[in-house]
Amino acid sequence: MGSHYLSRRILQAILTIAGIVLLNFVLFRMMPGSPDRISHNPNASSEARAAIRARWGLDAPLFPDQFVAYLEATAQGDFGQSFKFKGKDVTEVIAGRIWPTLILFGLGELIAIVVGLVLGAYSGWKRGGVVDYAGNGASLILYSMPYFLLGMILLVIFATALGWFPTAGMFELGRTYPTFLDQVADFVHHLILPLAAVSLGLIGQYSIVMRSSIIETRGEDYVTTAKAKGISESRVLRGHAVPNALLPTVSLIGINLGFIIAGAITVEVVFSWPGLGTLTQEALEARDYPVLQAIFLILAITVVLANLLADIVYGRLDPRVRT
Amino acid sequence: MRLPVRRPLPRVLVAMGLISVLALPAAVPVAAADPVVLRVGTVQSLDTINPYLTEYFIGYEIFGLNYDLLVGYGPNMEPAPGYAASWTQDGTTWTFKIQPDLKWSDGQPATSEDARWMIQKLLDGQKKDGYVGAGYLDPYLTYAGVTAVTAPDPQTLVLTTTTPNTQILTSYLPILPKHIWEKREIGADPNDAPVVGSGAYQVAEWKTGEYVRLVRNPNYRGPKGYEDEIFFQFFKNEGAMTEALKAGDIDYARNITSDQFDSLKNVADIVPVESSLGAEANAFTQLNFNTYSKPIKGGGASTKALQDPVFRDALGYAIDKQALVDKVLGGHGLVGSTIIPPAMAGGKWHLEPSNPRTFDIELAKSKLDAAGYKLDAGGKRLDREGKPINLKMVVPNGSTTYSASAQFITGWWKDLGIDMTTQALDNDAVTALETPPEGDPPGKADFDVVIWNWAGDVDPNSLLNILTTSSIGSNSDTFFSNPRYDELMLLQGKETDPVKRKAEIDEMQQIVYDQAPYHVLFYDAALHAYRTDKFGGWALQPTEGGLPFFGYGNRDYNLLTAPAPAATPIPSVAQVASQAPGASSGTGAVATPVPSATDGSNAATTPNTALLLAGAALLIVAVVVVVIALRRGRTTREEE
Repeated sequence: MGSHYLSRRILQAILTIAGIVLLNFVLFRMMPGSPDRISHNPNASSEARAAIRARWGLDAPLFPDQFVAYLEATAQGDFGQSFKFKGKDVTEVIAGRIWPTLILFGLGELIAIVVGLVLGAYSGWKRGGVVDYAGNGASLILYSMPYFLLGMILLVIFATALGWFPTAGMFELGRTYPTFLDQVADFVHHLILPLAAVSLGLIGQYSIVMRSSIIETRGEDYVTTAKAKGISESRVLRGHAVPNALLPTVSLIGINLGFIIAGAITVEVVFSWPGLGTLTQEALEARDYPVLQAIFLILAITVVLANLLADIVYGRLDPRVRT
Repeated sequence: MRLPVRRPLPRVLVAMGLISVLALPAAVPVAAADPVVLRVGTVQSLDTINPYLTEYFIGYEIFGLNYDLLVGYGPNMEPAPGYAASWTQDGTTWTFKIQPDLKWSDGQPATSEDARWMIQKLLDGQKKDGYVGAGYLDPYLTYAGVTAVTAPDPQTLVLTTTTPNTQILTSYLPILPKHIWEKREIGADPNDAPVVGSGAYQVAEWKTGEYVRLVRNPNYRGPKGYEDEIFFQFFKNEGAMTEALKAGDIDYARNITSDQFDSLKNVADIVPVESSLGAEANAFTQLNFNTYSKPIKGGGASTKALQDPVFRDALGYAIDKQALVDKVLGGHGLVGSTIIPPAMAGGKWHLEPSNPRTFDIELAKSKLDAAGYKLDAGGKRLDREGKPINLKMVVPNGSTTYSASAQFITGWWKDLGIDMTTQALDNDAVTALETPPEGDPPGKADFDVVIWNWAGDVDPNSLLNILTTSSIGSNSDTFFSNPRYDELMLLQGKETDPVKRKAEIDEMQQIVYDQAPYHVLFYDAALHAYRTDKFGGWALQPTEGGLPFFGYGNRDYNLLTAPAPAATPIPSVAQVASQAPGASSGTGAVATPVPSATDGSNAATTPNTALLLAGAALLIVAVVVVVIALRRGRTTREEE
């Protein structure tokens, strides 16, 4: 039974990715404008622009020529050359930008899951307590605050006014590092503020969902039964309430990964973090179709995998869905 | 059933501990041997370091550091020695003497053969395809009418032109090393770092979207700047860039907003520069009408009134340009008039019209009435076909100045009985709407009014060309067609007498002002800012009303010195202006390094260790408190 559940989920994931590959092609080309008309330079002749389009294969009909070429290339894992970063391969452009986002959001998500779930579970269990009031209040504020604003506040206070942290980038420009550890330290120093912006926003979200979910399970019969059996409060929380309350939270986390890029753009923009978010912005401005396609394919695969993972975890947490 | 949910707290502790341990060595002082680094912030991200492919101003700034232009630019944008040290003109023959003993950054000799090869390459490319690379730089050869190039000896370069004009002196022609580029395709090569050029600084590293690093060219022929390396850091947001400038994380911020500019006015060690005459101010913001004269199926302007110069002229009286400068630009700009900005070549070409329109709604109304654009019973202005005039305006959403201007103008025109709706789209979408059937691919010119801007060159050619009939289908965004204007365009291009050329260009500006396919709303000032605590010797180009960087020819990078040893409380702009003439004479260039001063500023920019440690400690304490609180809560419950 379990393997059937799993294989069905995996098949779904593959189909979804295939659908996204198709959608990816259409989506960006539906935007008005064309990559050869980005700059507003009076020297650019229409001849030169036509030639640029020809070089990028944009002069051929969208269907079937461009579409078939795209499918062939994508199937072979060839993303082509970037339109904006002329002469550079898409893989080369993206490779340099993946890991900053991965570290920032991977770590941010991890911190948020741990802190958010614990905070939510605790404040839900001790509803009306000090932690609940303070935690829930803070969570609501953080949850409702746009990343951009949160980031800017952190930047102005901790970087400009107090000078504790740098304002931009991943490394201090022009600094030479005696050892590798110094470089790591400089990186962490740059990472803290954006990481705080990412995780604070997510903590609010997760703790609110976890809290209400715990409050719901508190009234359930099995919790009362467990208490009646004389099991200690903390064991009831950990062994009975939390596992059941986790279900909606796991779904939320799975879905949330898809919204990471939206958050990534704003947080990365504020802290000039050279990740996929800022790259997406640059590529959108320049109508850099190949880069956009590759980024969205990567994102789609991430989201699909995250959801697959969420489904699997869900299956483990809740035996009822394992059919 | 055992679940893993129980264990997160210790993990948080470990994570926090790890972070604080990693943060500890951040206290290690910066090595004394660190190079002197100049950090320039910009919100424009670089596309390529190949000069013939870049489409962005930042690309021009960087190739201007990598390579010498055949003819460079002086402190007031006048022609100055570049790759060529001197030149003479004999009718249609130009003879250039290349800089003596010039070397590329890799040590190879740089001679007239490199320049000959470069220019021949551009001429060949033009002959074959009509353009080279992105097609932005080779038109300079067309404007100058260059037909042939030879290199009779290693020091001499000879150019032949069609007419005895002087436009080769204002051409933007970076000379690339033949021995590197012979094997490369100019129109496709990414010119990966390390770059080899003859300019003062060479790109050593480029991380897209993050920074580009340039290092000193040991073989550079000219004065040496104080900085050993230059970083251009790419920001995505002006606010963050301004904060970085305030914090000392960058030394120069390019193009900040007027609010940020005003907020920097009384900040210690920061000098904000408002420039109406610098290269980046060489631009105008215009309101352009769709004057396309033939019907377009499913597109075109909503009324024929836009084809009528009288109608367009009348609307010009209902635009309060001074109010736009004050309210939209926060006072940082000049009222617009003609299509050649005052910032072009130090004001050499700009014409103030003899008959400027004043803001007068009543006058506009009477002019419209007289021209047959009557009001209907509901107070709506009708065109000559008797249809109410409802204009569709499109503005790019990249800058709020366009949409803010649109709001004001919509209000004034409403008083005339003309309704206008505004749509803000991104640049590319606006361009697509502006494309007429002559475009490639053909468009529908589906708009009435657009507010946007154009940036100019040192020479008026490129801006004048936009409004020619032959530009319909490429750059013309108004589809203006005037036989006299087209004739003058050709005449001024061939003109050898600068006085005559100026007269012809004046007439062209006056035609556009009178016929009003454009209402030039304003000339935005360029707003930059720099810090004075790490570098001195900031020079402006032009020396009055100019900018330190992002000018023509990039000479100002070579004039930086160590900062003035005495702590200047708040440097005034007047002080900077007084530095400029000294710097421009070239004396300020060779500076004696003052290590103590740099070390001091380095310390200011490195993290405050004590505070950092305190922060980390605070975090750990907070986590521990939470853990203890949780555990205690649990035990009390269990005791119950």
